[in-house]
Amino acid sequence: MTTMMERSFKYLDERLGSASLARTALRKVFPDHWSFLLGEIALFALVVLIFTGTFLTFFYNPSIQEVVYDGPYEPLRGAHVSAAYNSVLRLSFEVPAGLLMRQTHHWAALVFLAAIVIHLCRIFFTGAFRRPREVNWLVGVGLLFLALGEGFTGYSLPDDLLSGIGLRIFYAVTLAIPVVGTWVTYLLFGGEFPAPDIISRLFVFHIMLLPALLLALVGVHLAILVLQKHTQFPGPGKTERNVVGKRLWPEQTFKSVSLLLFTTAVLAMLGGIAQINPVWQFGPFEPFNVTSPAQPDWYIGFLDGALRLGPPWDLNLFGFTISEVFWPAVLFPGIAFGILTLWPWIERRFTKDRAEHNLLDHPRDTPVRTGIGAAGLMVFFIMFLEGGNDIFGVLLGVPVETITRILQWGLVIGPLVTFLATYWICRSLSRTRLRPAQINAGVRLSRTSDGGYETVSLEPPAEDGERAPAATGPHAE
Amino acid sequence: MTDSDQQGSEPVDVDRQTEVGQEHHGDRRKAERRVGIALAVAILAGIGLFVVYFTGGQTQIEGLLFAVAFGAFGVALGIWANHLLDAREVVEERHELTSGPAGREAFEAALTEEVGPVLGRRSMLLRLLVGAGGALGLALLLPVLSLGPAPGNTLKQTPWRRGSRVVDEEGEPVSLNQVPEDGFLTVFPEGHDGAADAQTLLIHVRPGSLKLPPEKMAGVPEGTHVAYSKICTHAGCPVGLYRAESQTLICPCHQSQFDVSDGAKPFFGPAARPLPQLPLGVDEEGILVAQGDFPEPVGPAFWDMNRGR
Amino acid sequence: MRRTAILLGGVAVLALLLSPAAGGAPGAARVAAQQQPSDSPALDARGRELYQTACASCHGPDPSGPSYYPDVPSLADVGGAAAVNWALRTGRMPWKDNKGPAIERGEPRFNEEDTRALVTHIGKAVGDAQIPDVDPARGNLQRGRELYGQACAACHGMNGAGAALGGENIAVSLQNVTPQDVAEAIKIGPGQMPVGGGLADYEFGTAASTQEVDDIAAYVESLRTDPYNEGGAPIGGKGPVPEGFVAWVIGLGLLVVASRWIAGRG
Repeated sequence: MTTMMERSFKYLDERLGSASLARTALRKVFPDHWSFLLGEIALFALVVLIFTGTFLTFFYNPSIQEVVYDGPYEPLRGAHVSAAYNSVLRLSFEVPAGLLMRQTHHWAALVFLAAIVIHLCRIFFTGAFRRPREVNWLVGVGLLFLALGEGFTGYSLPDDLLSGIGLRIFYAVTLAIPVVGTWVTYLLFGGEFPAPDIISRLFVFHIMLLPALLLALVGVHLAILVLQKHTQFPGPGKTERNVVGKRLWPEQTFKSVSLLLFTTAVLAMLGGIAQINPVWQFGPFEPFNVTSPAQPDWYIGFLDGALRLGPPWDLNLFGFTISEVFWPAVLFPGIAFGILTLWPWIERRFTKDRAEHNLLDHPRDTPVRTGIGAAGLMVFFIMFLEGGNDIFGVLLGVPVETITRILQWGLVIGPLVTFLATYWICRSLSRTRLRPAQINAGVRLSRTSDGGYETVSLEPPAEDGERAPAATGPHAE
Repeated sequence: MTDSDQQGSEPVDVDRQTEVGQEHHGDRRKAERRVGIALAVAILAGIGLFVVYFTGGQTQIEGLLFAVAFGAFGVALGIWANHLLDAREVVEERHELTSGPAGREAFEAALTEEVGPVLGRRSMLLRLLVGAGGALGLALLLPVLSLGPAPGNTLKQTPWRRGSRVVDEEGEPVSLNQVPEDGFLTVFPEGHDGAADAQTLLIHVRPGSLKLPPEKMAGVPEGTHVAYSKICTHAGCPVGLYRAESQTLICPCHQSQFDVSDGAKPFFGPAARPLPQLPLGVDEEGILVAQGDFPEPVGPAFWDMNRGR
Repeated sequence: MRRTAILLGGVAVLALLLSPAAGGAPGAARVAAQQQPSDSPALDARGRELYQTACASCHGPDPSGPSYYPDVPSLADVGGAAAVNWALRTGRMPWKDNKGPAIERGEPRFNEEDTRALVTHIGKAVGDAQIPDVDPARGNLQRGRELYGQACAACHGMNGAGAALGGENIAVSLQNVTPQDVAEAIKIGPGQMPVGGGLADYEFGTAASTQEVDDIAAYVESLRTDPYNEGGAPIGGKGPVPEGFVAWVIGLGLLVVASRWIAGRG
């Protein structure tokens, strides 16, 4: 350590007490399992989103004022478009690396949400939401909602035909809220559709309100995680009262930074070679034009599918109307996300388990929870499929009506079948006593340069007379 | 306590760790070589980025170079972490999360000590306090109401009036038989071309194919020029897909399908209500005109759509 | 594990780079645009001969008369010579399949000469011998985009990728069609497509309509020659659904592989 560094650390420590703080942080232990990195993928996608997003903010103009396009995209030369749309086209075609940043930003958004979902699944299926982590579960679900909002507001900013159609549908969904729907919609949008104020309002949500909440909650999410320490899979030497793993510095830092770099690499690759949301091809939004096929980004796709599946039942109650849009787009998400949010308490009601859990479940050992989770995923999956029914129809040579009917029935029987099948699979896997997360516990093999092997024992000292396992293999205990 | 070198007073969790294992990587040369190569690749890709950017830039190449640069760097760190670090497996004890009954009592005491007596005796003051908080809190929400106008009747009306001439998207009047048989066109009221809620489909159907009741047929010049609102009654997308042979419309958003010959009633998909029909007539110059506004509100349903107009 | 990751990454990159825009017609050999059919009696006779062999079994002995089957239209109702030209050039006729819509393109069965013969004969027989004359070079690209957005995009997509229309019906991809296809389809309104293509004032033969068709043809041609896929592989050009697929399978997939590699054998 150079004297320069020593002097800097001393300077900071004299003023902030940073040395002992930092030491505590650097020595913190985090367990090793690849599935614990999924949340980090989401975090690093967020980092990419912030970097690329900040760049985009310097070029995007959230105004619907009409301008004449005179850029290099020939088919639109001389066309009257909004300043917002114009700014996105300028960014895509005239700003060096502009298209790369824009596409990387959009791919990062798609992957951000995918990572959140898969991370949520890991938490759910391993029971990591149980006491004492219920609060962090709520924070996480809140992050999911904020991310959904960020994504939707973000891709609606270019004021292109496809996202404008999406806004139209969103308008109808808020209208469908009983009693207050019309008022809420007019307040949110600023009037009748197409409300000109909506683009600049979405901008405020997208770059200010939602990111502020998002970053605050991410901070809380990580702080609680550090305070409560990470969970771990059961294994030799691992108890409810300890954490076995590697220290933050240097081991976990190297790994996390490596994952950050990989995340950036994958997103930049996609941003460069895979075209996404080519808004110049869709053209500017006009409220009387439409293009086919018309879908939202994947994470809103379940709502689109729900709307396509929804039965044509509107209700008239004493002269008031409940729109057919209410069931798939207001009631269903309300119930589904309500169950998701309250799951730790729902589960506790039935399991009566009030104990603190720092050891994770293997999904196969909790067949009911795993079955319910799988059934829930199946519901969403069916809706995603329906959201693309016209595309799959063309691909498979099947009419959209057939796909819709099949998936409507699928929605009724699919979750039940999924639950039963998953339950059965869990029970039979449980019986084989395979524990993938534990297979390599106990011994680590490494190759020597002369071709041989050396083993490193990872066994902690045996406690309470427990026999420490000697060998690896699926049937060792 | 001024000596800045003094250690923290209480041991924390990280002081109570046990190392239970350590990887020993015998020959590190191969790993070091690989890390070196990866880092070199990253450097080259980074230089490449400079070259490409300053010679005009190219999105695909820049994306790939970024990917190679970051990816190689990531590979380097990954190999370093797994093969050069001699990682130590450590056991750290968890601490009790709870402050315990004593801690909670102390907190409650700190919170209620001073306020306690006031809470008990001055209940009238307390009620006024709560009242003021509520009133001011609600008042702070008033600017929210400025965000949008009152809906009023705006969702139940369009710019179509009795006598409005029918024009196309460019504002040109549309005359009878201008649209060929089996053809269709998006139209608006004159002076409001492009108005979102007024968008209407004019369809020239085959003679004798319409099955409408007489009062509806009165709004169909020559029994072949029928007009329906273009706004889907499900979620509001423009229903721009006309299937001429079957004389049906399909909405691209959620595949609601409407039968043009039968009053644009939905026969498949999630839409519950038919597209409202705009009654048409013809003026002295042969231009199509509206006979009035749509008889029902256009577009998606809302709470009070059937209450007065 | 690392090798697997590199392999997967390479496959992903290759797949993206090589994935062509979806849609587009199979069968590269397309019969070139036809000139106006002539009055040559020899051509007419050849056409009658071909008609009796290849078409009469469904469409009836006389092109202007009724067909033999209820769901086979009489050639008097389909749009005249232009319809015949379109159906034969794009290989949609003679019908190959006993099921499915006739809307699918294929290899044309007749060569240029025979196609002209049939077009001449049938056009004469039904009294509509006009073939559209189209030239995208005469057209205005910007006006074409505007018209296309008003009239065609709802079914065919703003980028011409095509879409499902419900039931057996499909609006075909326009990313690989000829200007003649465009002009003829607008005139005849084949299948479920409206006659006049949804244009405001279409009347075949007028200067205004010819200009409009030229404009639209210019835009459709640009979808083929200059689609502005600056962002990279268009992944089918079908919007967010394939994009979501790529995000999960390639984006998250590669990162899960990376996570497993990084975590080692933890």
